[in-house]
Formats: sequence, C-alpha cells, structure tokens
Amino acid sequence: MHRSSLQLRSRLEFASLELPGLLIFTVGVILPIGLDFAYSLTSWDGYQKGWPWVGLANYAKIFRDSQTLAAWWFTIRFTVLNTVVQNVLALALALVFNGEIKGKTAYRTIMFLPCLIAPLVAGYIWLRMYSDVLPALNALLGTRINFMLFGSGRTVLAGLLIVNQWQWAGYWMLIYLAGLQSIPIELYEAARVDGASRVRQFFSVTVPMLAPAFTICIVGITIGSLRVYDLMVSSTGGGPGRSSTSIVYHIFNTAIAGRQYGYGSAISMSLIAVLLLIAVAQLGLLRRREVQL
Amino acid sequence: MRRIGMLCLTAAVSLALAAPGAFAQGAVTVKILDGQSTTDTGIENYISAAVAAKYPNIKLDWEVVGWGTDFSAKVQEYMKSGLPDILVGKGQDIATFASRGILGDISGKPYLKNVIDAAVGSGSYKGKAYGVVYNALYQGVYYNRKLFADNHIAVPKTQAELKAVIDKFKALGVTPFETHFVDTWSIGNITMQFMINDVFSKTPDWADQFRSGKISYASSPIAKTVYGYDKLIYDNTWKDETFSLQQTNADGRLVQGKAAMKVSGSWSIQNFQDIDPAFDFGIFPFPNQAGDSKLIFEPNITFMKSATTKNSDAIDKVLTVITTDKELGAQIFNQTKTASTIKGMGPTFSNPSQKDIDAYVAKNQIVDANSGNLQLVWGGFQDENAKDIAAWLQGSETLDQALAAADSRRANSKP
Repeated sequence: MHRSSLQLRSRLEFASLELPGLLIFTVGVILPIGLDFAYSLTSWDGYQKGWPWVGLANYAKIFRDSQTLAAWWFTIRFTVLNTVVQNVLALALALVFNGEIKGKTAYRTIMFLPCLIAPLVAGYIWLRMYSDVLPALNALLGTRINFMLFGSGRTVLAGLLIVNQWQWAGYWMLIYLAGLQSIPIELYEAARVDGASRVRQFFSVTVPMLAPAFTICIVGITIGSLRVYDLMVSSTGGGPGRSSTSIVYHIFNTAIAGRQYGYGSAISMSLIAVLLLIAVAQLGLLRRREVQL
Repeated sequence: MRRIGMLCLTAAVSLALAAPGAFAQGAVTVKILDGQSTTDTGIENYISAAVAAKYPNIKLDWEVVGWGTDFSAKVQEYMKSGLPDILVGKGQDIATFASRGILGDISGKPYLKNVIDAAVGSGSYKGKAYGVVYNALYQGVYYNRKLFADNHIAVPKTQAELKAVIDKFKALGVTPFETHFVDTWSIGNITMQFMINDVFSKTPDWADQFRSGKISYASSPIAKTVYGYDKLIYDNTWKDETFSLQQTNADGRLVQGKAAMKVSGSWSIQNFQDIDPAFDFGIFPFPNQAGDSKLIFEPNITFMKSATTKNSDAIDKVLTVITTDKELGAQIFNQTKTASTIKGMGPTFSNPSQKDIDAYVAKNQIVDANSGNLQLVWGGFQDENAKDIAAWLQGSETLDQALAAADSRRANSKP
C-alpha cells in the first residue's frame, strides 16, 4: 500500500513536470497541425463563414497541379544541391580553420557573421550585389561576366545557392569545428604510427568521429532547405515567372494571396509529411552509421 | 497606528493608479489595420497627429503591413479574432471585403460630402458606400519630356505611331522602355492597364462572360493582343537585366535619359523626384490599335469601417478629420505624389505631368481602373497571370500555355 502510493506520487510528480511542456507542444504544434488538416479537407477561401467539405479532393489536385509540382521540383533541387554543397563547404572551412593559421579566430568570426542577418535582409543584399555591385567589377576589370544570376530562370537556382552558402556555411562550420576539436589527438598519432597518410587519416579517423556532426548538419540543412521562403521574398519574388518559387512560397501564394486556404493547407500537409519522412529516414540511416563507425 | 498608516498608504497608491483612468473618461482607442505601399510609409504619424490635435481623447492604434503581401492575410486572420475598427486599403478592396460582409455601410455620412463624387462612387459597392477614397493615382506611359522634345518626337496615339517612336529611340541608342520585371507585379499592372483600355472599357461584363465560360483567354483575340503589348515592351527594354533590376535603378535610367518611357503609375513619381527634383516628365495613355486609349484613374488609399466595430462615433470623427484637414492632406499628397480627392484641394506638389493629366481630363479621356480591378481580382489571379507572362517572356512557357493558365484560374478571378 505504502509502495503503491509512493509510485503514484512519483508518477504524479513526473506528470506535473511534463505537463507544461506537453501543453505547449499540444497548443503550439498538435493543434495547428490538426486545424491545418481540417482546413485541407475543405474549399475554404479564408473569408467564408463555413468550411465547405471536399474530402480528399485537394490532395488529388496536388498531383494534377503543374504549379505545385513545379514548386516541389524546385524545392527538391534546391534541397539536394544545398545539402551537398553546404556540408562540403562547412566541413572544408572547419578543416581549414581547425589548423594552425594566423588570425583563425577572426576568420571564423567573419564566416559566422552572415548567419546573424535575417534571410530577408540577406536576399535584399544579394539582389543589390548581383544587379549593381558585382556588375561594376566588369567595368573595373574589363570582363564581361554575367553576374545577374537572379535575372534568368536558368541561373536563379545557382544565384540562390550562392546566397545560402554565404549566409549559412559559417554556422554549420561551427558544428563541424566542435566535432573536430573533440576528436582525441591520440587517434591521429596512432594512425600516423601505423603509417596512415593524411588522406587516410581523414577517412579513417576524422570522418567516423564526425558522424554525430554529420547527422546534425545533414538533417539540419535538409530540413532548412525544404522550408526555404524568406530568402525568395526579398530577392527573386519566386521569379522570374515561377522559376524560384519554393513549396513554402507557393503555399503562401495559394492560401493567402490566392484565397485557397483549403488547397494551401493540403499542400502544407504534404510538406509536413515529406519533412517527417526525410527527418526519420535521415536520422535512422545516419544514426545507424554512427553506431557502425 | 501602524495598521491605519498602511491602510492610508494603500488607499493613496490605489487612488494614484486609478486617477488617470478616472480623468480619462471617454478615452477611445481606435484600432487601424493599414495596408501600405512603399510610397505611403509614415502617413500614419501624420494622421495620428491631426486626430490628436482635434480629438485628444481618441487614440489611434496602428498596425501597418504591406498591402501587396500581408494585408489580405491580416484581414483573414482578424476575421477570426476580431476585426480592427478601420481598415486602410486600396479602392479595389471595397468589392472584395464588402461582398463578404466585412465592411460597415457609411452611406449618407456627412464626411462623404468632403470628397469628390468620383471618389464616392469608387468607394461604393452595389449602391452603398463602404469606403472613403482619399487619393488617386494616374496610370499610363510616363516619358522623359526632354528626350522627346530634343529629338522632335511627338507623343504617339496609335500602335503604328508607337512603333515609329520605338524605332527612333533605338536608332538614337536610347532604350525605348524602362522596366523592372523583377517586380512581377509591374507586369500585372501593365497588363491590366492594357485590359482596362482595350477590354473593360468596351465590354464591361467581359469578366463575367469569362467566368461563365463564354470567353477564354486562350481563344480571345483581344487577350492575345494585350499579351502582345507586354512582349512589345519586353522586346524594347533591357531584357538581360529587367528580371534583376530594382525599381530605383530602373527609374534612375529614365531620369538620366538612358530610357525614354515607362508604363507605370503615380507611384513612380516619388522615385523620379527623389532622384532629380527637376526631372521633367509627362504622361500619355498607352496607345492601342484603335487610337482611343485613355489615361487611367485609380482610387488609391481607402479608409473602410469594419462591420463589427463598437467605435462608430470615434471612426466618424477620425474620418471627418481626414477629409477636412487640408494641412494633413498636403503632408500626405506631397509625400505620396498623388492626386487629392478632397474637394477644394488641388495639386499640392510640383507635378510636371499635371498639365498632361488636366488635358486628358478636359477631353474626358480618363477611365476608372476599377472598371478592371473590380472584375478581375489582383491576388490569386492578376498576380498569378503576371508570373505566367514573365515565364512566357523568358521562354519557359509558350503564349498558349500562359493564356491557358489564366483560363485555369477562372474560379479564382472574382473579387
């Protein structure tokens, strides 16, 4: 009796500690997702008093709507390229700034600073860079390089990727830097004694020991890339045409400007599903690799 | 003794805290959601000061958002949580909001007599007044008057004359049209200007026929002609830069004489005069096939009362101040470089294009932009069509695809 009342008391104590977090999670996450799903089953325009029921028609429309599919295609390309390039760049920068170079603290700070700027501001800065500042170099250097990367559907993806690397490579560099600095030096010494070259040391010591950092960076960059939005708002406006319209940008245009709240909600549910799938798959795969390594 | 002292102290503190409230009886806070364009930035401060001077007990609580990006979203949000007392939008919002019961009827209010009749009409929906239209824009082709005069080029009235003007400027090494298509809205605006003159002024129920399926963009010769005008401008502007060039840079080139013309509206005047206060520019209607195109008059900043407000009296006072305070008007019109709709208030700033506007008004060559904007909604239709036009101009869509895309949005075209 005394034991069971102690257990009950213990459970109640745990529950009281969990309750605030659970409440915030329910109100801040579960409820909005639930509402979003409810709207997605209607053709509500954001103004109507009622929610006209349409069932799964909005979800079927996603597969027929060329604009939604185009937005998904752009987002997938942006995500894949950004994830690969940003990880490689961040790791490369971490390796360079982990070495003994003069002024590395200053360089690290300079690389990190852009991530403190809001993406909205970064987009505006680079719109100016591409249209005014960089083309002025052509006059100075006598070259004819096309810097107007936002000006064409063929180059706009490259232009946005450059901006994103400028803004976020420094941030992820810090994660890799922390990982590098936590690798015991004895492992490198042992590898050197065994005759391993620098390249071999990198693949046999550095990469395995950085597995947790890889997990954080790959998942983080992927999720962030899938949700890219504010960068486009201040730079390309999703254009030229729709050539840089990300899925989040398309959701905003559809639901808010286009007054198709129901359909926009369905597209956002598809985004949630993709985010969950990718996060679970990546975490599962990468965590397994961490264990193996 | 100590207890009595503590009680007195508590009473004194409570009285001190309650006093401001007691003496502020009748104080009203009027909440305003203001959807602004970039030219309107800061006008809320002028209005607050004017209202505070006349009615110190009325406090204006402003929420300012971008009209093109966030205004509609905010209205949708507040429909659930409670609308602000006043919505400040554009003339075309009247139809969108009044048809959904969001706005309060202000028919017969005395302050409506303070604005010109055209403004009252523009602020009405199905015979009832829902908004006070405060100022107006003019839309057409702004041109560098000196470039035209120095090269003895007359203002074109027909498409044939326009093509001749384009050829002359190209021969002179001057870009015929200034554009900044990175702002896709500018494509939408240009297209609607053409449609107002060539479609809605001749077929007032064109949009209704479109929605009922009798007409389609894909099979409409006039729609193809209008899109053709977009291509004409694109073919005679800086094609490599227009999707990267910001408005300020582009306007600068017109002012500097590197470009001759710009299809735009009064919102460009602020930029022109910021770059060069002495810039001499004029305006003419974009020439159509028939040679009978008109300058476009667009109702702009519009004050609308919410249908659910509990501060009707205070709102009436605020709107009276706004429509009678000429000093306030001068501040706003000078900043926004727009035309006043207040009776008895002429142009408040030096506008080189005013003589052209007056000439077109005198000849009745003016058409209301709402003839188009109230038929085809901006958000979700005109702006989306503009993106397809941009894609077509860049070669990633065909003309047929762009026209078909407009048809696919039929259901979303009604304001």
